[in-house]
Amino acid sequence: MRFLAIILYTLRESLAKKTFLAFFIVVTLTHLLFIFALNVDIVAGGQAMVQLFGNDVEHEIDFAKLRQIIIGIESGLAIAMYGGGIFLSIFATASLVPNMLEKGSVDLMLSRPYARWQLLLGRYLGGLSIVTINVIYLIGGAWLILSVKTGFWHTPFLLSGVLIILVFGVLFAIMTFVGVTARNSGVSIIAAYLVIFFSPLLLARDKIYALLSQKIYQWLLDGIYYLTPRTTELGNMTRALVAGEPIASWMPLLQSLAVGAAFLMGAMYIFQKKDF
Amino acid sequence: MNIIQTENLAKHFNRGKLRALDGVSLYVGPGRVFGLLGPNGAGKTTLVKLLLGILHPTSGNALLFGKPAAEYLIRQRIGYLPENHRYPDFLKGGSVMDYFGRFAGVAKEQRRQRIPELLKLVGMDKWANTKIRKYSKGMMQRLGLAVAMINDPDLLLLDEPTDGVDPIGRKEIRDIILHLKQQGKTIFINSHLLSEVEMVCDEVAIMNKGKIVIQGPVAQLTNLGLSYRIQTSLLTAEFKTQLAQKFAKLAAPNGHLDVTVQDHAELNRLIDQLRENKAEIHAIVPQKRTLEESFFAAIQGAASGDFNELTKLTESHS
Repeated sequence: MRFLAIILYTLRESLAKKTFLAFFIVVTLTHLLFIFALNVDIVAGGQAMVQLFGNDVEHEIDFAKLRQIIIGIESGLAIAMYGGGIFLSIFATASLVPNMLEKGSVDLMLSRPYARWQLLLGRYLGGLSIVTINVIYLIGGAWLILSVKTGFWHTPFLLSGVLIILVFGVLFAIMTFVGVTARNSGVSIIAAYLVIFFSPLLLARDKIYALLSQKIYQWLLDGIYYLTPRTTELGNMTRALVAGEPIASWMPLLQSLAVGAAFLMGAMYIFQKKDF
Repeated sequence: MNIIQTENLAKHFNRGKLRALDGVSLYVGPGRVFGLLGPNGAGKTTLVKLLLGILHPTSGNALLFGKPAAEYLIRQRIGYLPENHRYPDFLKGGSVMDYFGRFAGVAKEQRRQRIPELLKLVGMDKWANTKIRKYSKGMMQRLGLAVAMINDPDLLLLDEPTDGVDPIGRKEIRDIILHLKQQGKTIFINSHLLSEVEMVCDEVAIMNKGKIVIQGPVAQLTNLGLSYRIQTSLLTAEFKTQLAQKFAKLAAPNGHLDVTVQDHAELNRLIDQLRENKAEIHAIVPQKRTLEESFFAAIQGAASGDFNELTKLTESHS
């Protein structure tokens, strides 16, 4: 596989630059915190006590209630990990594309027998691999701790990891686009956070319409809403998936993936045309 | 078939305000060591980047091995040492070679065999397991040269290969280049170290302001035509004056004669005159200019618009 060399190189770079390690340490600390914070006692087969951070969540409950509580904890955890995981992932990968495009490095890459799109896509997949490994560790580890502690193996929680990876993939496509055009990791980070920051505002844009003097601004907001990833709705979708609630529409996910693909293709097109 | 061929290759920046390369036509045959000379900003690196597809041309064509330079798979046959390369400093010397060998499509077995060989060739075998952030500039150049050779390329593009390298290292790099030449490799060297180029190149082109000012074999570019220095026994002032009257382009500084003759018959007439007057001839040395002198003549001629110097060079070339 032609991309494999680039993906492995990206992983190696990430390891060497300690971003991978930092991510790993933060996730491990989260797991440790969780191991010590959650305490579930099962008594006489049907009685249980759930404590979180030393406080009783429930006392002497049956398993149906315990299941409900654990799903509740997992839903909250999924949302926290969705936010935290994406936050960490953005930091861990922001410099990957701008670093590759730095003077002295880009010449070395472009002089190899690779098409430019292959180089950029390889780098993108390398960044995605870094995050995938860490998210598997983050979500998989948390799921394992919860399952072992409670004896309740609730697999839908793992879907939150899939969504985190997909949403990161979309945001990383935007960061790749900005990285290729601006060649600056700071600007890439800002771009990703702007998307996350404006997402709830755009979702509630109907409440903003009243403040707008002209219809054209409404259309503008609608346009931005449909042309940017819908991270808030995807966060809600993550919680709903874990909680076992029905998903009203998969459109936010499909649209976000389409936006990500468009940004990635745009980045490859610009990279193809650019002089270095 | 030419290994490198460019036809009216041009690269303009800032919407044509900056003409980094302005209609360059260049041919490099197989097995040649070709030197591209020019002052800073002449367009040498731009030309190399166009050949490697790092820059896109504004107009014109560039062919490598007879195929458009934009075809990326051709680069399997190319080794490149950039001017200001930045290999990943978190890697060790051997790992850098391994990664870039893998990028170049070199199989694992070949890499395992070639990496120690090449590191030894460039004198870096003892540093293979040291992180390259500890390397000096000269060591980085040696490593860069080894990386450029990892895929056993047919064409090597070396941009300032001896930059930052000490005299011993420069000699070693020259030897490597000559060794590669013996293997039939084509080598394209960008440099402003004229003496270095003169020592290894078969052919050179001199660039200035994005244009090729002159191109030709080193021997012809440095040839001054029918100019000779004749070392003789001591001549009288009276005889020197007589000679100067008979041979228009003759000077007699520091006990020898510098003469430029129209043809060999004229040279023989001069020798006859000397022998008739019992002058003892110690040596007749054809005169050459250094590549540096040729370079300055070409650059100054092009800059001033006075092409007399260039014409002289071109005449001697032809």
